[in-house]
Amino acid sequence: MAANAEIFFEHDRWGHNLAWSLALHVVVTGGILLYSTIASGGRGEGWGAGGGGDAIGVTLVSTVPLPAPQVQTQNVLANESKGLSQSQPQPKPEEKEPEAIPIPEKDAKSKPKKEPSASKRKPQPEPVEEANNVVPFGQGGPVSGPYGMFSAGGAKGGFGFTGGGGDFGTRYAWYVQVVQRKVSENWLKYEVDARIREAQRVYITFDVTRDGRPANVLVEQSSGVPSLDQSAIRAIQRIDTFGPLPSDYSGNKVSVEFWFDYKR
Amino acid sequence: MDHSSRWEIERAQQDISNLCSRDGRRSLYREVNAGNCKRTTGTHHHTLKFGVFGRAVLALLAAVLVAIPSLAQDWIRTGTGLGVEKVRLALPDFKASTQDPKNTDVLKVFNDTLWNDLDNAGIFDMVSKSFYPLGLVGSPADVKFESWNGPPPNTAMLAFGNLGVSGDNLTVQGWLYDVKNVTSPQVLGKQYQDAATSDAARTTAHKFADEIIFRLGGGIPGIAESKTYFVSSRSGHKEIWGMDYDGANQHAITHVGSISLSPRIAPDGSRLAFSSATKTGWEILMYSLDLNRLVAFPRYGGTNLSPAWSADGTKLAFSSSRTGDSEIYVADSSGGNLKRVTAFKGPDVSPTWNRKTGAQIAWVSGRTGLPQIYTMEADGTNVQRLTDEGYAVSPAWSPNGQFLVFSWIRHYGPGAPGAQDIYIMDIASKQWVQLTHDGGRNDFPSWSPDGRHIIFQSSRSGGEQIWTMLADGTNQKQLTFTGSNTQPNWSWK
Repeated sequence: MAANAEIFFEHDRWGHNLAWSLALHVVVTGGILLYSTIASGGRGEGWGAGGGGDAIGVTLVSTVPLPAPQVQTQNVLANESKGLSQSQPQPKPEEKEPEAIPIPEKDAKSKPKKEPSASKRKPQPEPVEEANNVVPFGQGGPVSGPYGMFSAGGAKGGFGFTGGGGDFGTRYAWYVQVVQRKVSENWLKYEVDARIREAQRVYITFDVTRDGRPANVLVEQSSGVPSLDQSAIRAIQRIDTFGPLPSDYSGNKVSVEFWFDYKR
Repeated sequence: MDHSSRWEIERAQQDISNLCSRDGRRSLYREVNAGNCKRTTGTHHHTLKFGVFGRAVLALLAAVLVAIPSLAQDWIRTGTGLGVEKVRLALPDFKASTQDPKNTDVLKVFNDTLWNDLDNAGIFDMVSKSFYPLGLVGSPADVKFESWNGPPPNTAMLAFGNLGVSGDNLTVQGWLYDVKNVTSPQVLGKQYQDAATSDAARTTAHKFADEIIFRLGGGIPGIAESKTYFVSSRSGHKEIWGMDYDGANQHAITHVGSISLSPRIAPDGSRLAFSSATKTGWEILMYSLDLNRLVAFPRYGGTNLSPAWSADGTKLAFSSSRTGDSEIYVADSSGGNLKRVTAFKGPDVSPTWNRKTGAQIAWVSGRTGLPQIYTMEADGTNVQRLTDEGYAVSPAWSPNGQFLVFSWIRHYGPGAPGAQDIYIMDIASKQWVQLTHDGGRNDFPSWSPDGRHIIFQSSRSGGEQIWTMLADGTNQKQLTFTGSNTQPNWSWK
């Protein structure tokens, strides 16, 4: 009986302690939740999805020589680099608006003009939106297909595709590889000024037509070294054909962004 | 007899050369032999460094963004420094689709031929058969992706199919799968029908191999169906012979009965030009492969050697000594409209056209003593000297116009080691790389149509025989074994 009595006593004490314990748990849990909502604000859940995010960055960086990491992160997050370049264009439109406003009576005409200009600029600004979409990029749903992520030789990389019907890379990964291989083979590094030891990455864009020929070769972002830019353009121009686009592909061209890293 | 005319005659008797060229852009700059190759570009070192990234990344890319959905633009983002690797390709034996007893033989020929074609292509890393999962793969339903795209085969591409003989007919179905892409794996699906013979099976295998190479090799047609022509003394006389690119099907073509040298197949494959000793001296003869007989071609007098077709097939360049000194002439493919394009003292021989532009000619000139290689515009202007020492002969221009391959004795003369080897030179930069090192005399290189291979003659195995290699000097293989076989020339397609 005595034992029973003791238990009763204890019971009261437990209630007290339990209350404290509960309160503490609530506080801790609340803290965690609060922290997570605050801290997760910039990241976007998509990044963690699948192995895509991991694959993209980590291994690449580790395998890169010292200077490379920065560049690499740009690679990996192709969207990211866009974001950067986009942020620059944005200020420009803003500046123009002020200029336009000052003009007195021509306001009416100038405004309409500005709007078109804004629409022209849209292609660049939109990437900004895409920058937001960058997060979705990590979603990996479509991207995390078999070729959304590669691994070979200990290195990993990823690519993703968005846009209506823009699943070329996932469906025809083999063709993407052909393009990559062929351009690399045709890039003659001796064309680059021998005094240059290292340079910024140069981005070239071009289209591959239905029959496989490269067209519309442009420097999207210069390396700042003319001979390097030139050698990159020549690498593309030197190529007669990549081979016809896959016969069951419905589009009539594919656009390619190709970057060249130069380091002697 | 002065020095230069001596070598000229030597060469004429031995077999003059040059050849046409085709394209070779592969990893030329592979550092071969430190002692012999003083210059290499940084290209390859660099590639190696970044090779870690793996081809994989190649495709890094992505797409993107195109914020305007209506554009529905497809983007590929990729870059260099990602490593250029050969494509890993697995090729399980084709499966018999019928019960016909003839299947066994035909299947073996087909499987062997297909494997060799793909292995020789130079763009594949063939996955060893010992890594393959058990069980034949005869149709798409048999493909278990996990067992192919993971270790041990860890292949990127899988070629498979079935073959069946029924009566006199042979039916082959072949597929090429990108096994890392489970959702839409098919790159290629083909069906062939032919007679149920070993030859037909070989031809079918060549066709299927070429389809695969065309897709994965960047739109450059494969060479499995190409032919080569060479000089063989097997019949007692030096006659022109032909064979498949892999050495199969060797057969005599001409029966002139004297000495025939330097065969050059026309770009359309219809005619064969060669030089032959006739009653009036060395003349250019023309043999029609359509008619299987010699056809008329003018005799110019003097010693006429080493014809070379222009890429469009409308012109022939050759050397002629009709005016006393050996010079380069250009004539129409019919032999008319003869024009002299060189006018220097000293012999000029072995012309070869720029196969890409058709506007330049490379040739061998002895104007400074020993033979050296020069280039000029097709009208004889803008003469440039490419080699600066030794004894350089037999130039052949690559199909992409970027390279010359030639035979070179870099240190020539008494007391010099004097090995004769095949070299390749990037014309714009004049950087060169030595391709052969294995001793013997290596001469008369000729490009394959895809520019990834070079065929040449070598004496390393004893007598003069025909060999092939990839344009970076690897994968050297002997094709002929009987008699003396020299001066190979690869067809244009």
